[in-house]
Amino acid sequence: MMQDAFFCTVGELAAMGRENIPPQFISGAHLIYSSPATLAFNSPGAEGFGVKRAGLAIPDSIMLIVAPGCCGRNTSLISSMREYDQRFFYLMMDETDIVTGRHLKKIPKAVKEICDSLEKKPSVVMICITCVDALLGTDMERVCRKAEEAAGLPVRPCYMYALTREGRKPPMVHVRQSLYSLLEPRKKRGNVVNLLGFFSPIVDDCELYDLLHQAGVKTIHEISACRDYEEYQTMSEANFNLVLHPEARFAAEDFHDRLKIPFIELTRLYQIDKIGSQYRAFGKVLGVTFDDQAAAESAQKAVDAFKAQYPETAFAVGECMNGDAFELSLALVRYGFKVPEIYGTITAENFIYIKQLAALSPETRVYSNMEPTMLYYDGENSGVNMAIGKDAAYYHQNCPNVMWNQDRQPYGYAGVRRLFEALTEAENRWEEQP
Amino acid sequence: MKGLRKYLTPFAPDQSGAVSVLYELGGILVICDAGGCVGNVCGFDEPRWFSRKSAIFSAGLRDMDAILGRDDRLVAKLTSAVEKLDVSFAAIIGTPVPAVIGTDYKALGRMTEKKTGLPVLTIDTNGMDLYDRGQEKAWLALFKKFAVDEMPVEKGRVGIIGATPQDLSDLSAGDRLRQIFAADGKKAVCYGMGDGLDAVKQAASAEYNLVVSPSALETAKYLQKQFGTPYVVGYPLVKTMLPEADYTGKKVLIVHQQVMANALREELKMRGASEVKVCSWFDMKPELREEDDVYLKEEDDFTELAADSKWDVVIADDCMKSMLPKFDGQFIGIRHFAVSGKLGGAC
Repeated sequence: MMQDAFFCTVGELAAMGRENIPPQFISGAHLIYSSPATLAFNSPGAEGFGVKRAGLAIPDSIMLIVAPGCCGRNTSLISSMREYDQRFFYLMMDETDIVTGRHLKKIPKAVKEICDSLEKKPSVVMICITCVDALLGTDMERVCRKAEEAAGLPVRPCYMYALTREGRKPPMVHVRQSLYSLLEPRKKRGNVVNLLGFFSPIVDDCELYDLLHQAGVKTIHEISACRDYEEYQTMSEANFNLVLHPEARFAAEDFHDRLKIPFIELTRLYQIDKIGSQYRAFGKVLGVTFDDQAAAESAQKAVDAFKAQYPETAFAVGECMNGDAFELSLALVRYGFKVPEIYGTITAENFIYIKQLAALSPETRVYSNMEPTMLYYDGENSGVNMAIGKDAAYYHQNCPNVMWNQDRQPYGYAGVRRLFEALTEAENRWEEQP
Repeated sequence: MKGLRKYLTPFAPDQSGAVSVLYELGGILVICDAGGCVGNVCGFDEPRWFSRKSAIFSAGLRDMDAILGRDDRLVAKLTSAVEKLDVSFAAIIGTPVPAVIGTDYKALGRMTEKKTGLPVLTIDTNGMDLYDRGQEKAWLALFKKFAVDEMPVEKGRVGIIGATPQDLSDLSAGDRLRQIFAADGKKAVCYGMGDGLDAVKQAASAEYNLVVSPSALETAKYLQKQFGTPYVVGYPLVKTMLPEADYTGKKVLIVHQQVMANALREELKMRGASEVKVCSWFDMKPELREEDDVYLKEEDDFTELAADSKWDVVIADDCMKSMLPKFDGQFIGIRHFAVSGKLGGAC
């Protein structure tokens, strides 16, 4: 009986190539282990932003979850947050609903009853449906139109279809499309830009804001920063969209098709030189040269300060954090640290980092959080002395960690600087422990 | 409106109930879902999950698995996992997806038993019923599968059935129950909370069983029929749950699971309460029910009942307090994990 968690080294993975990824790293090929390290995968709504929380990104919106009771159960975790008080409602399905589809007829009445009972009318009602309606083939667009007629305000669907999570359009992609589908065409303004991708703003000291201002941008919209529905509507005045998360690509294409707003995609990186290259390429597209020197230097200074104080740090890097586990690991190795272990899902996008890591740190072990043998994971002799990511912190409870999964999104040089400041703080705190 | 919830989040579903029964028993638990259900069960409904590892898995169903009914894939995945893990049985637990596609659990169980060589329990939960229904199915399936041998009765051995965090809202309840019996010179085994599969296999040796939640009643009856083991219903820890107060002449409304609520009623009457009505969001067994007890289905059922000005005291989970903005009596919060997802004893 094997009692060790399965892993491959980065060197082995690079040698096998992306066409021969071992089945242990393919989630559809095995049962999915459920540990606190996989909670964000199994139930994105339980942590950070899942469909339910993301679906309420439009100011003053509310959500009606139409589903079997089990699908709405953990929503009380979110409802207990002050900003979501009185924003979630439930219409629970039973077996008869599934057989007859009668729950669909109840939705318009339920939407009206909820809206009538609220002191302040919501801006929009999101109807969240789940796997059951995916299988029933429910035409929720039609049901939403009926509900709009009944309630007299916009009603939009959002699909929490876990069954399609690895499909072409997973739930988190779909919800981003839904969120922007309410925007109506408006006259374009050349100095307005939308940042798409996250459900909370990027960190307020991020240099991206300054760089955009350098390029002549006056107004930068982020859906999560809109104060009200009217401000949200001004997102359709943008000259272009900046896509900061790949899951917003479909939404950006919708913008392009429907509102004639083009988009440019930027990637979140932790390698300082690559961030610079990306900004240079971005500037070229806009026809400007960005002055990002001070931001880059301040990021480098934070890295150097941490390195001077903790040169022997050996990281475990997980995927439950704001970044790509492989890109961040590559950055850490390039800064001169060791990365003995990574917990990550291998995709075509991040295989490029695996290849580069293989050249610098071929013995780095890669584990899949979801693989059944992770039940036996034991990090005792891993050599790890610091963890980044909620999953890595779960595996390595006897060393300092930085969860790095905060709502406010780290980005660019500011993200690097803040990460290393957080690492320094975590190390200092750990040392001060009795 | 039927099915509409404006105050309360949905209660723990049947699949969470089934998992809570089997969690500590050393089996591989496979929730037949796409991932979201297992996230709900583990991340919210199973408080032991954060501190105690268990071989709990999602089947990782995808749309084509459901559309094409690819049960063979699930069997293959489970077989592969069993080869790598040290487990004593397997349990396949249903969710809405297999309920919609009409999965044949018996066939699935037989196929899996044949492939893995392990005893397999299949629990046909559907995510629409409540936790107690899932528990009832799991307790019965567990004892029918493993408590098969007749054994000599061990004097002083008490089997406690029905103890789960969802019912008792207290992770130390198993230990505390064992202590109470130990103080009386008896040995209590608390199935599923501290005592494992071996204790289940020796169920026939219990002198009597104590049923601490309604979901275990059918199993106690089964054990009585199978081995002649008598049972009693009650919750001995109830004495420590009520805050000190003068209940003389008070009219009290209690909302909890039926066994706990009945035990509270008994205690309150002993302390002088003049009228105590029990109500529950969950199954109320006819044999444990008094004539005026009320089964609650919709939020309005509770608000209308509690609106009666005669109640001096309402005992319920804290999360229900906001449903009674005009109630001016005493509200005593006693947690019910299956309702609020929060642990606690007396509040």
